[in-house]
Amino acid sequence: MTDWNAMSDADFRKEVRQFFEAEYPEELRHLPHRPKFAEIEHWHRKLHAKGWVAPAWPAEYGGMGLNAAKLLIFYEEQQRWGVNRGRDMGVQMVGPLIIKFGTQEQKDYWLPRILSCEDIWCQGYSEPGAGSDLANLRTRAEIDGDDFVINGQKIWTTMAHDATHIFMLVRTDPDAPKKQQGISFLLAPMEQPGVDVRTITTLSGETEFCEVFFDNARTPSENLVGELNKGWTMAKALLSFERIFIGSPSLAQNALGQLESFARGRGAFDDPVFRDRFAQAALDVEDHAALYARFADQLKRGETLGADVSMLKIWVTECFQRITELMIEAAGPDGGTIGPLQVGNVSVDVLASFYKARPTTIYGGSNEIQRNILSKAVLGLPG
Amino acid sequence: MTQTDTVSSEQEDLRLLRESARTLFERAGGSGRARKLRDAGGSFDPNMVRELAEAGVFGVAVPEEQGGLGMGLAAGGVIAEEAGRVIAPEPVVLTIGLSLGLLRRLCPEHPKMAQLIGGEVSLAVAWQERGPGGAPADATCRYADGRLTGNKAWVVGATGSQGFLVVAEQDGGPVLVLAEATADGVVIDKRAQADGSSLGELSFSGTPAAELASGDAVQAALAEAVADATALAAAELVGLSECAFEITLEYIKTREQFDKPIGSFQVIQHRAVDLNVMCEVAQAGVREVLALMDRETDQKVRAQLASRAKARAVTTAKRITRDAVQLHGAVGYTDDFDIGLYLNRALVLSAWLGDDAYHRRIWFDAREAEGAAQ
Ligand SMILES: Cc1cc2nc3c(=O)[nH]c(=O)nc-3n(C[C@H](O)[C@H](O)[C@H](O)COP(=O)(O)OP(=O)(O)OC[C@H]3O[C@@H](n4cnc5c(N)ncnc54)[C@H](O)[C@@H]3O)c2cc1C
Repeated sequence: MTDWNAMSDADFRKEVRQFFEAEYPEELRHLPHRPKFAEIEHWHRKLHAKGWVAPAWPAEYGGMGLNAAKLLIFYEEQQRWGVNRGRDMGVQMVGPLIIKFGTQEQKDYWLPRILSCEDIWCQGYSEPGAGSDLANLRTRAEIDGDDFVINGQKIWTTMAHDATHIFMLVRTDPDAPKKQQGISFLLAPMEQPGVDVRTITTLSGETEFCEVFFDNARTPSENLVGELNKGWTMAKALLSFERIFIGSPSLAQNALGQLESFARGRGAFDDPVFRDRFAQAALDVEDHAALYARFADQLKRGETLGADVSMLKIWVTECFQRITELMIEAAGPDGGTIGPLQVGNVSVDVLASFYKARPTTIYGGSNEIQRNILSKAVLGLPG
Repeated sequence: MTQTDTVSSEQEDLRLLRESARTLFERAGGSGRARKLRDAGGSFDPNMVRELAEAGVFGVAVPEEQGGLGMGLAAGGVIAEEAGRVIAPEPVVLTIGLSLGLLRRLCPEHPKMAQLIGGEVSLAVAWQERGPGGAPADATCRYADGRLTGNKAWVVGATGSQGFLVVAEQDGGPVLVLAEATADGVVIDKRAQADGSSLGELSFSGTPAAELASGDAVQAALAEAVADATALAAAELVGLSECAFEITLEYIKTREQFDKPIGSFQVIQHRAVDLNVMCEVAQAGVREVLALMDRETDQKVRAQLASRAKARAVTTAKRITRDAVQLHGAVGYTDDFDIGLYLNRALVLSAWLGDDAYHRRIWFDAREAEGAAQ
């Protein structure tokens, strides 16, 4: 097994870049939508054969075991070449949780299936009444013999219509004194009579997320991860992985690259005002990357991240939005046009980027909620 | 609400006009109608065009002696605001500002004038062309011996219109011609827009067309009509912004998280106040511009006023619709809720006739030029 971390950063970058440039299918570069698995399966097989599906997982579980610095390089190269993240909720979300809290049996069973994409995961947290106030969730799971029986509804479940499994937060003790107590973390198969998935169309006409209804759906009791009624603390631990991931510079960096080639092609840099705004965005991205590296180093030293990691997400998502807004500005009279816009030999889907940027300030803990967290947990403000 | 306060300070005739336009649009189905038309393929409803015409909508800014109501651009703004509130896809600003704006200045006797005012036809105006980089360039579309050859870009209302008013070049000077949509050699390449409408990229090859006017008057009339349409599009965005704000205000009063309406959180309250203030500033600014444009005769000053209005309205509509989605949370990102329709319509109206950054530049350049002249 290669010890990637022993390589120099430059050599590692070269290796990653060469692999993407040689192997990643041209037609999948900078995909404007979230692909179904079938669309990217061929690429996933290559990545799997190479052992590169899970760059952040420890090598003993089939990951690349990259340290934070190398991981950053990996993501940067991925974004630079417009490599799709694939169906990575398994790798990014449920895998780390199983690694941290799962039993040996759970690790042995689920982790290889995540890597091979034999199982494709979706995240079932939000409910109609439980968005920002996630602890308000009502979906029930009750023990019945060797199974949990699940009843209730999840919503906004990204790509649930193309997933085989769902990891979810459910209420297992409705009588617990606090909302946060009595919540458990369950894994459940989607392909069963008690699960009904309906797609929801987004304002850009995509079907990316779904409602998932549970009507006496079942999952074996060994699919409980961690302790019964202790799901909330675990989910919060997962949220902090999510927050550094969601706060990474990659989306903004990628958008900045697209903005640059588009604006150059359109002659937008002839305008000093536009140049200033571009420079501002570019510097916002660079300095954010410096801050990100600081948090990444903390992880590298094995420390856990504090609540202050929220600042990464706030900064980068809002910066991402501004970059896509600049793309629209550079598009001038084409700014309301759907689909790729051609400039010279590049084509940039301006509106797809714009739409992609909008919900980044809503999901993963909305930016208002992140600000609440920072003001209380970091600044120590009362209330 | 504040809405009624500002409305009541309007002139009586404009207030009545606003009431009847609002009733007309609401009775026809409000914003739900826009959704239906989008789902049905993205054009407008010719019956609605006729109903609007019966209410006198298209002729509001046409002088009485030319068959209109002679109420000026301010009245056009009232109609545009109301159309914006329900994101109506009908060519209201296109007809009042551009098509009739050109015809009434260049050939008020032409039979198409009455047909446009009467809602019997709609005419799209093809005046811009795309340069090599994709950005606007000088006109090269040529008219000779009764035939038109060349390309035109960003034509609003190209689908659904019976003909095109085309600004072309003839013997080195500008000419305005009329080509029927069904004429030989017309190819329309439709570019789908965020709101479900389409922009036409037109190509003419030896298309028969009738000359309406030529010479410098065409350029002058075009500049005036574009200024009118720009200011009216600003009014449409103001109406859109107000309604998007009202929808959002209602939502934050009713959506509960953490056992309270989200509108009880102070950060949400302050945001709502900021959006409301933006709306009021935009409404005041744009209405003032329209009134000033009615009194002003200097073309340069009118154009500068129009830029002031569009710059303000685009900035406002972008901010309000984007914050509105944010304040709705995930439901704001769905097509099930109307707020997304407002966001998408704002994208399209912002890009049409120049966005805020563009108009601030134009406004400043005009200001500098004026300063230099004095
Ligand atoms: C594209 C997309 C994909 C998603 N994918 C998934 C998924 O795969 N799985 C999943 O479980 N969920 C998913 N979600 C849901 C996401 O986690 C929620 O949208 C998010 O938690 C916000 O909840 P909400 O949408 O109900 O908004 P609400 O909580 O109703 O919030 C509405 C507005 O009020 C603000 N607000 C709420 N509370 C406060 C407060 N206390 N102080 C200040 N402001 C407040 C919010 O910031 C927001 O602006 C997705 C959402 C989107 C948009």
